[in-house]
Amino acid sequence: MELNGGSVVAMIGKDCVAIASDLRLGNQAVGVASNFDKVFPVNDKLYYGLPGLATDVYTLKEHLRFRVNMYRMKEEREITPKTFTHLVSSTLYEKRFGPFFIEPVVAGLPTPTELDPHPKPFISTMDTIGCITTPKDFAVAGTAADKLYGVAEGLWEPDLEPEDLFETVSQTLLNAVDRDALSGWGAVVHIITQDKVITRTLRARMD
Amino acid sequence: MALYHNPPMAYAQEPTTAPIEHRFNPYSDNGGSILAIAGSDFSVIAGDTRQSEGYNIQTRYARKVWQLTDKAVLATNGFAADGNNFVKRVKQRLEWYEHAHHKPMGLKSIARMIQTMLYGKRFFPYYVYNILGGIEEDGTGAVYSFDPVGSYEREACRAAGAAQSLIQPFLDNQIYFKNQQPEPGAAPFIPGNLPLGTVLSLVVDSFTSATERHIEVGDGMEIYVVMKRGRTTDDLLGDNKLAPGMTIEELPSLGESVGGVESEGEGQGGERTFLVRQALKRD
Amino acid sequence: MECSFGLTGKDYVLLCSDMSAGRSIIRMKSDENKIKTLGPHLAMAYGGEPGDTNNFAEYVERNMRLYHIRNHYPLLPEPASAWIRRTLAESIRSRHPYSVNLLLAGYDTTTTKPHLYWIDYLGTKAVVPYAAHGMGVYVSLSTMDKWWFNDMNKREGVEVLKKCVDEVKKRITINFNFNCILIDKDGIHHINIESEDPISEYEAAQPKDTVVEAPNPPLDVGVTA
Repeated sequence: MELNGGSVVAMIGKDCVAIASDLRLGNQAVGVASNFDKVFPVNDKLYYGLPGLATDVYTLKEHLRFRVNMYRMKEEREITPKTFTHLVSSTLYEKRFGPFFIEPVVAGLPTPTELDPHPKPFISTMDTIGCITTPKDFAVAGTAADKLYGVAEGLWEPDLEPEDLFETVSQTLLNAVDRDALSGWGAVVHIITQDKVITRTLRARMD
Repeated sequence: MALYHNPPMAYAQEPTTAPIEHRFNPYSDNGGSILAIAGSDFSVIAGDTRQSEGYNIQTRYARKVWQLTDKAVLATNGFAADGNNFVKRVKQRLEWYEHAHHKPMGLKSIARMIQTMLYGKRFFPYYVYNILGGIEEDGTGAVYSFDPVGSYEREACRAAGAAQSLIQPFLDNQIYFKNQQPEPGAAPFIPGNLPLGTVLSLVVDSFTSATERHIEVGDGMEIYVVMKRGRTTDDLLGDNKLAPGMTIEELPSLGESVGGVESEGEGQGGERTFLVRQALKRD
Repeated sequence: MECSFGLTGKDYVLLCSDMSAGRSIIRMKSDENKIKTLGPHLAMAYGGEPGDTNNFAEYVERNMRLYHIRNHYPLLPEPASAWIRRTLAESIRSRHPYSVNLLLAGYDTTTTKPHLYWIDYLGTKAVVPYAAHGMGVYVSLSTMDKWWFNDMNKREGVEVLKKCVDEVKKRITINFNFNCILIDKDGIHHINIESEDPISEYEAAQPKDTVVEAPNPPLDVGVTA
């Protein structure tokens, strides 16, 4: 975790979810790259972030891409946020005694179905061995987690509209990573709504 | 060398005795958090009242914030024994000063004195983070923050203690307006100029947030408000200014009128200090 | 006691590495080539545990060559970086991990874009415009932060690289000799970075005099049906 640095935050809004991360890749105190994305799409309603050891970020991302593609081909449908969370969880637990050093955060909007015409926005987070938590408000992970908790707890409120959620998640991330030496160097935010995903790269402090 | 660590010869295996060494650790960490925010003509200094050691709560009411003079309040955090003792000695020095100079010590002088007192124990430090708040000679609200060995700085706000990492970035955003820009054409943001009502709300939000996420923070909250002399108290004592569950009291003046002369009063008395208390969430 | 760095330009990529080899404070060699050519437009500067380094570099080289022979075209920089990263990522959780850090530089002949990858022994991969490993990190990264800019021509790129070399010579107490290559559409060429004006020297020379031999199997070597 403290080798490469990096943080991710996800928040629930009114019929939308947000997920955001910083862009730093470091080698302890030395900054190596400021374009290291930690949030990846599964489809246009589901994103996930993988803060932690960078080598495992890649390995896990590629592994999950493979698993999701197999799921898509076998099931002929998209994976739901909840199922995906369990996929990530069991992938992590497979390595129970030699874990991936990653604390994933999942954020998605379930597609409305006949059984559930108004599904609730979904976020979840896990520890390094896949123990799931599904918060009702926000999820944080990474080297700035404690800072993110403090700011998010102060700024977040229920039922934020997409643009207000964008402002809340952006302010939370920026102010938290500015107090963390291992996170920062740029930030990217994704707001997921039923009809589109808004992705914005934030202007951040580069020190 | 590992090879020879236990010589294979039997006679070398004789039992030996050595006294078991116990090293006394003179320090402990008693959790809790403090914060202070300066306004243009007031200063707010707050702390929670939980005192813990590890997972054990020693008491749900222990003071961390102390009134030093009519215009100075000190918050201490870290090792409670050191904190209490440090405050005791600061108060003693302030009393000596008053006897010697027939006036209370000014805020910036208290700040400098605290530095020398802390640095005086550079090689066996008070394990305490101090935040000093109050009213400066020129009537402005001020906050001074210290590290355990006396490095200090005047700031608009500061959080310290167990939940510093939770509260400080929130304060950066709300007090220093970090990562915020004024609307085009609007006046620029100036830190340290917020109205008292806003500052109180931020203090309460900071502590409720910290209580929510940090096990060492909770039980109760004590907020000291120091006001410049002659300042209106309507924004604190007026109707519906305090949230439900809050209690307020005015602390009596500590100023001993030396030689029977009322110290340069402007008709309305000196600085006034109020203490606001609130319970923190119990789950 | 190693030092390597690389940077990308408009249509080329530069790679530079020191040439010392030894144990702790003793230098046994000062002309060791620690840049491996992996294909007609691909090379890497590597360092780390002696023994692991050469073994891993040759392993990569042969696999790149095998791919070229099998498919009649070389692996492009991006997939090559993915393969190398994965090899290291699998190695780090094995009983005998390779302890090799490397900078992978390549020129993508299909998009005419230069590529540079920072890869460490854990399998961490960063796609970067300029990078450094070893002692170079402490001086040349800040030098490149200051002087590097987008779409530099060859002269500008070599100038920046020379600044890095000068900075290393000035600020680091160890004496290094540097070995430098340039990869562009014409393949891999040697640059004498120690000279006063490397780029003029390079442009004046015949291509055959600066070319660095790289594995480039002829097309008729391969499996036929």
